[in-house]
Amino acid sequence: MLGKWLDNTVEHVTRRQARLTSRRSLLSRFGLLVIGAGFAPLLPVFRAGAFAEAPGIPEEGDPNHCSYWRYCAMDGYLCGCCGGSATSCPPGTVVSDITWIGTCRNPADGKHYVISYNDCCGKSACGNCGCQRDEGDTPLYRPQNSNNVNWCAGSQADVPYHCSLAVVIGVKE
Amino acid sequence: MRSVLLIILLTALITAAGQAAATDPVQFDYMMNCQGCHLPDGAGFPARNVPAVAGNLGNFLTVEGGREFLVQVPGSAQSDLDDARLAAVLNWMLKTFSAAQLPSDWQPYDAAEVRQLRQFPLIEVTPLRHRLMQQIEAQLQESKR
Repeated sequence: MLGKWLDNTVEHVTRRQARLTSRRSLLSRFGLLVIGAGFAPLLPVFRAGAFAEAPGIPEEGDPNHCSYWRYCAMDGYLCGCCGGSATSCPPGTVVSDITWIGTCRNPADGKHYVISYNDCCGKSACGNCGCQRDEGDTPLYRPQNSNNVNWCAGSQADVPYHCSLAVVIGVKE
Repeated sequence: MRSVLLIILLTALITAAGQAAATDPVQFDYMMNCQGCHLPDGAGFPARNVPAVAGNLGNFLTVEGGREFLVQVPGSAQSDLDDARLAAVLNWMLKTFSAAQLPSDWQPYDAAEVRQLRQFPLIEVTPLRHRLMQQIEAQLQESKR
């Protein structure tokens, strides 16, 4: 009963398909799709925010270089040079949620953005792209704004420090 | 042709959407002075001695000395915030993270109260916090009975 119904349905659909399309039309349409998909990323569209967390953050500079605007208070290795990115930890490490937070001025729009400098923890130091700019860094007796603290001590993975992120979490008015 | 135009239009719309909106100034102060340890949702990390404020902060207003404690605790009293901004952040935290625990007759902090309280920093923070938490716990048990 069910088998018969299935047979009829499939036959109906296939015959209809065969009646309404030609093999050449399938080929040409499929070819158009393949070529079109290849061209879509080449369209002249503004993509400055492609790697930012929130849409609408204008970007300039190289996120794997210490001079990048988000690293104004950085003291550590850039995760983008360690198998991760400026906003995600490399495989095999865990992010320290407990962290220190500061602001950096974005040269692209002149606004000050709130940056969370989360450390990635659980593996020994990465060693690539060491970056120490320390703007607004305070001495250790003001620990809440000191970048010399090993923030991995407050993570699930505990002390081993691998590299640091710079995540935009807000915009100053 | 029509579909190509549609794709271009859609992509342009998506990339143009959402200029980064400014963060609320009180939340900005929370981010800069508290969030690093107490986390965006106020959960803290009790396993590493960062107390949870979410679902807990308002309880302090129900026991003697608790209202003062929230201002005098080092993270509040020794922050870079001036009295008015500290009062605003504390009120914001109470409402945002602990609305369910707030007493119905709750009065928000103001700058004058914060100025007066933060002149007397706590010496023994942890034992005092422990005592307050015990009182809160006892009170919660009492109200359940």
